Amino acid sequence: MAVTDAVLDAQGTTEPRVDAAALHTQRPKDLQRSFQLWLAVVWLLDAVLQIQPFMFTPGKNGFSGMIGGTASGNPGWIADMITWNASIVNHHPVLTNTLFAGIQFVIGFGIIWRRTCKAALGLSIAWAIAVWWFGEGLGGIFSGAATPFGGGPGGVLFYAVLAVVLWPREGPDTPFVAARALGARAARVVWVVVWAVLAVLYLVGSGRSPQALQSVVTSTEGGEPGWLVHLDRYSASLLGHDGTELAIVLAALCCVAAISVYLPAAYTQVVIVLVVVAFSLIWVAVQNVGGILASGATDPNSAPLVVLLVLVYWPLSDRRRAALPRGRSGTFALSCAEANSTGGVDLGTRSIATREV
Amino acid sequence: MGMTMAMEPSWLYYLFAVLMLCVAGYSSVLLAMAGLSRRPAGWDVELSHLVMGVAMAGMFVAGWSFGPSAMWEAFFGALLIWFVVQCGRSLLAYGAHLPHTAVHALMSLAMLLMYWFPMGASQGSMSMSMSSSAAGPRVDPGLALVIAFLLFVSAVFTLASNRKGGSVYGTHLAVVAAGGPMTTQVGDTADVSGEVGLAGTTSAAGGLEGFVSRPSLLDGAHVVMCVAMGFMLILML
Repeated sequence: MAVTDAVLDAQGTTEPRVDAAALHTQRPKDLQRSFQLWLAVVWLLDAVLQIQPFMFTPGKNGFSGMIGGTASGNPGWIADMITWNASIVNHHPVLTNTLFAGIQFVIGFGIIWRRTCKAALGLSIAWAIAVWWFGEGLGGIFSGAATPFGGGPGGVLFYAVLAVVLWPREGPDTPFVAARALGARAARVVWVVVWAVLAVLYLVGSGRSPQALQSVVTSTEGGEPGWLVHLDRYSASLLGHDGTELAIVLAALCCVAAISVYLPAAYTQVVIVLVVVAFSLIWVAVQNVGGILASGATDPNSAPLVVLLVLVYWPLSDRRRAALPRGRSGTFALSCAEANSTGGVDLGTRSIATREV
Repeated sequence: MGMTMAMEPSWLYYLFAVLMLCVAGYSSVLLAMAGLSRRPAGWDVELSHLVMGVAMAGMFVAGWSFGPSAMWEAFFGALLIWFVVQCGRSLLAYGAHLPHTAVHALMSLAMLLMYWFPMGASQGSMSMSMSSSAAGPRVDPGLALVIAFLLFVSAVFTLASNRKGGSVYGTHLAVVAAGGPMTTQVGDTADVSGEVGLAGTTSAAGGLEGFVSRPSLLDGAHVVMCVAMGFMLILML
């Protein structure tokens, strides 16, 4: 008879109670899978944001107006394509927005199922590039407005990067999760490129102007809740005229981050913590939670995705490396096989069940 | 919202309302089955899904709402207290972990917030078709977003979980036999925390009962509820 401690405990046939922590620490988690699921959560959030009422509304106050607004400042041929896209959305707001939301639901739910995960991630890459081009005006790179303060070079690009570094693949999560998909060397190259781009964008265009921070904050202030407006005003008054200095500091942080992946694990972890703190503050105090709280956003902007990305590069301890010699198949599949061979028990309680019975 | 509401897709709200009623109907079937077979495992979750489904259908489509707000608030207040107590009992019984009842407590709290901070007034209940954020005090958007996000997290991780049915019966599933979903080799069991009791609903599962109590359907209902509730909270921003 296959039973668990929980049942035995309820029947009074076993002495020790179930240690819930033990249930979950018997086998190491599949970290790549966990990160994929967090990415799916963000996609699901995006999909729901896409079906907000104003998204179905034509005109300047609707989604088409939001798209059309990104055309300004871009080269003519890019602006024309954005305007063309905005025109289609404007004429068919319900159809197009339903399609857009549907795609994001498909991506989000597709990532959840292992069978469809690769297809969903592939679709997310294509979708992210299309949105970046036609919906975000290439993140403002050509208009000089792509400062990472405001989400440059476009939050949607990070979805594509995350899809690449979280591409399902058998193997160990060493020396960090991203290495499993690409190999350590290629994953480090991706990391360096991302941080180099961010460092450059902090220093070019409008991002390096003294008023850069203040202008980003004030442009997203409308409709925000009171506490966030107060926080905005505080951050604007604190650093509102020091945009250049702050941009240089953050560019330097990006450079340090870029090389940190080649440093010993302890240094990398310190840098990652710093990046997480910095981008969390930027997300709340500058990007205003992506504008979601003002009911005018289709995504949470770039900062949460940057945080997710850097966590994918968190150096794993030697202990965990030893615990994950076979990657995904080494945990889940092994459990399945053993569960089947023992007559079928709950995977999460396998080890306890075999111990007790 | 305001003037832009003219282009709101009413079909979307009807879709969500129908889904909510489907979840409510499904939960009522499960409740009836549990009552007939005197195996009450998971009854609290099913009852909450039933009440939430009916209430939210009335929020999405004004004409489908009924009853005073006070009645619904009393329901969800009681559910919130119940699930918080269950969380506490589970923590005491099993040590530090995240009880599955936590998300149901969160959902009950979300429902209370929806009634405390309605987007519009329509005979004592909320109505999407009459929504207007200027009608009264708003729920803090930050709180609404956090709850919505947690509900999405629950939806995603429920679907991805290897422990099917965990959204209703918790992660301390009693036994999952290899031969079929949620069948068991153990007799009726009643977990002290109210978390398990899986055997009570699924032993000798087969036929209609086996189909209705399929773990994937149980989790599916929870996921639909989470997404719809998250959507409603996003609308409240």
